[in-house]
Amino acid sequence: MIGLDVGSTTAKKVSIEDGEIKYEITDTHNWKDLITGIDGKDIISTGYFRNTVPHHASVTEITAAIYGVRHYFPDADVIVDIGGQDTKVIDIRKNNFTINDKCSAGTGAFLEFVANYFKIELTEMGSYHIRAKRIPAINNTCGVFALSEMISQLVAGYSKEEVIAGMHYAFARRISFMIPEAESLVLIGGTVKNKGMVSALCDILKKKVFVPDEPQIVNALGALKYFS
Amino acid sequence: MQKKIAITALVPPELIYACGCKPFDVNNVIPFSKKYPRNKLCAWTAIWQEMLSKREIKIDSLIVVAGGDCHNALVDGQKVAMSGIPTHFFFYPFDGSSEYLESQFQKVSDFLGGIKAPEKPEEIMELKKIGLQIDKKRAAGKLTSGDTFRILISFSDLASDLDTFRETISLIRETDIKINNRIALIGVPPIYPDFHDVAQSLGLDVIFDELPFEFIRHSGRDIQTIARDYCNYTFARPLDFRIKFLQKELKKRNVDGIIHYTQFSCHHMLEDDILRSNLDYPMLTIQGDLPGNTPEQIKLRLEAFREALERS
Repeated sequence: MIGLDVGSTTAKKVSIEDGEIKYEITDTHNWKDLITGIDGKDIISTGYFRNTVPHHASVTEITAAIYGVRHYFPDADVIVDIGGQDTKVIDIRKNNFTINDKCSAGTGAFLEFVANYFKIELTEMGSYHIRAKRIPAINNTCGVFALSEMISQLVAGYSKEEVIAGMHYAFARRISFMIPEAESLVLIGGTVKNKGMVSALCDILKKKVFVPDEPQIVNALGALKYFS
Repeated sequence: MQKKIAITALVPPELIYACGCKPFDVNNVIPFSKKYPRNKLCAWTAIWQEMLSKREIKIDSLIVVAGGDCHNALVDGQKVAMSGIPTHFFFYPFDGSSEYLESQFQKVSDFLGGIKAPEKPEEIMELKKIGLQIDKKRAAGKLTSGDTFRILISFSDLASDLDTFRETISLIRETDIKINNRIALIGVPPIYPDFHDVAQSLGLDVIFDELPFEFIRHSGRDIQTIARDYCNYTFARPLDFRIKFLQKELKKRNVDGIIHYTQFSCHHMLEDDILRSNLDYPMLTIQGDLPGNTPEQIKLRLEAFREALERS
C-alpha cells in the first residue's frame, strides 16, 4: 500500500517498509512515474488530483496533514501547510481549518515569482536570505504589488539578498494573520524547505516552530496512515 | 398592468403586493448570470447594478435596502438611480424600533402609490405558513436540501405572482432522505446555484438556511403589524441579537456543523470571528465571488469539513 499526494506542483509517493518511511518526489505532470507497476487498489490518494489518479480510497489534504503530522509530532496543535497554490492552517485542537487561495501573497507561487525575477532557483532563496545585512520593509499585501515594491527597494539600494529576505518577511507576515493562538506549530509543504522563509516566520510569530525532516511528504504519509 | 418593483434585499413583499405592484428580487437571477461587472466589490450588488443600469432587466422602479443589510447597495443603488430608474432608498432600524420601521414602510407605500390591495398580506401569510412547514420537513429528512432552498429563497418576491407561486409549492413531493451531517448555512446565500446539491452529494445536508428562513418567518396584515414583525429581521439588528436567534434555531434543529458563507468584499466576512466564538459548533467559512457552479477549491473545503465532522 502507498500514499500518493498529487498536488498543484509536485507529486509524492510514500510507503512504509519494515517500519522505515520510503518516499519519492517528482513534478506533478510526471506523477505516473511514481506508480509504475502499482495497482490502483494499493493507492491511497490525496492532494488536488486525489480523485483523478488511480486510488483505492482518497482523503483531503487537510485530514492527510493531521495524520501525517501526528506521526512526527503526536502532540501537535496547529499545522501550517504551505503549498504551491495555497496555504492551509489546521487547528487540530478545535478541528478547524482555513485555506488561503484567493491571493498569491501567502502561497508558494509568490516566492516562485521572486525567484523567477532574480533568475535563481527556489532552493537557493534560503542561502540568499541568511546573507542579508538589513531587512527592507515590504508592506504590500498584494503579491503582484509586493513585486513592484521589491523593485523599488532594489532601486533604493538594497541588495538582492536583502530584498529576498524582505520578501520572506512579507510572505511570513501574510501567513501569520491566518495562524491562531498556540504555543507551537508544525510547518509542512514544499515551501517550508526554504529556511529563509521559516526563519522570517519564526521571528514574526515568536512561537516554537517544528519542521519534519522531509516536510513535503507529510500528506502522502498521512493518507497512507489514515487508511492503515 | 401591475408595476414591476425590483428589490435588492428583504423588503416585505406583503407591502409591495398590497400596493398593487409585483416585487422582483434582483438577486434571484444573479447565480445564473455570466456577467463580469466592471467596477465591483461584491458580485451580488455589482451585477444587479449593471443589469438594471443597462436595462437588461426590465423594471418600473427600484427599492434599495440601503440600511440594515448590504452596505454596498447604498452606492450601487445610487448608480441605478442616476441611470434614470425611479429609486427609493429604504432603511431598517438598527435598534429594532417598530415605530421607525412603520414610518419607513409608509414611505415605501407612498413611493408605490399607496395601498390598493389590502387583502394580499393575508394571502401571503397563508403561503408563509406553508413555507414554514417546508422548512420543518427538510429538517426531518422529507425534502431535499436544494429543492427546499430554491423554494424558500423565492419567498422574497413569491415569484412575482402569488398564484404561480402557490401552484409551484403545491408540486413539491416528499421523499425519504438519509441525513448524514445536519448543516446550518448562515450568512448570505451562496452565489453558486448548485451549492446545496453539491454539499449534499459530499455528505453535508443543509437543513437550515439563515436568510431564506427570514423570508418565511416574518409577516403581518397591515403596515403597523408588518412593521412590528419585520423589526426583528435579524440581519438588520446588532450581532448579539442575531447570534441569540441563531443559537436558538440551531439547537432546535440539532445541527452538527455550520457553513458560514460570505462574499468577497462583503462586510459579513468581518463577522466571522464573532460568529465562531459565539456559536459552539464546528464551522466552515466560505468566501464566494463570481456566480457559476461551485468551484473545485470550495468542494475541497466541503469535503474536508465533512471529514472534520466525522472525526469529531
